[in-house]
Amino acid sequence: MTDDESGDLASRRGLDDAVVYQPAEDSGLLAEAAVAEAHGRVLEVGTGSGWVAQRIAEERGLDTVGSDLNPHAARQARERGVEGVVADLCSPFRADAFDTVCFNPPYLPTDPDNEWDDWMEHALSGGESGRALIEPFLDDVGRVLAPDGVVLLLVSSLTGYDEVLALAEDAGFSAEPVVEESFPFETLTVLALRRT
Amino acid sequence: MKESLMDVICCPLDKAALDLDVDDEDDDEVLAGTLTCTECGETYPIEDGIPNLLPPDMREEAAA
Repeated sequence: MTDDESGDLASRRGLDDAVVYQPAEDSGLLAEAAVAEAHGRVLEVGTGSGWVAQRIAEERGLDTVGSDLNPHAARQARERGVEGVVADLCSPFRADAFDTVCFNPPYLPTDPDNEWDDWMEHALSGGESGRALIEPFLDDVGRVLAPDGVVLLLVSSLTGYDEVLALAEDAGFSAEPVVEESFPFETLTVLALRRT
Repeated sequence: MKESLMDVICCPLDKAALDLDVDDEDDDEVLAGTLTCTECGETYPIEDGIPNLLPPDMREEAAA
């Protein structure tokens, strides 16, 4: 590799880090739940840095696809050895394709006047309700999920736990908390959703 | 992308199967190519080993 190429690669990685959500407490909690519950073929929606998908692939030896709207994120996932795909939620995946689908959604309720319109906003903001991405995800995830499949969805108390439970029920799922942890400003729960 | 990914992906618009045209590959992965919907004919690029399966209107928005 020439100096020019390695310089480009270094600056590209620096850029990717700046515009891709990096692992935090919520990622750790989702990884813990997913390593315990995942089976079969796995999809992580909104994979970000790919860290959760990589842990599932390595600790469970499962085939794992990491998809993200953000091409910088798909590239980081690929660098971690995860199959990276640029996609909008579950839209380019086949019916019954996955036994496990994981999602740590952008969930912070955001004032529309304060939206900042860049990749980090896409990674964090869940619109005014905090549920702007959770609703379309729950509407479509049943299609790509195999009959005995499980969805692992991270929910913050900031997003409205009861509201998300109601949305899951409307989409035909029963919900069971797998792990839960309280932080000063929010409680994070990973729900396992199964078809009722 | 590995060719086995073809088993789980489809056209994001009409969910039909995709055809794979390979431009560049190494031992176990497709590095560059095109995915074409067998139903509507929409094409999706594979670049640096990553398929971009965003619907065309979102793809343009994301690039801007």
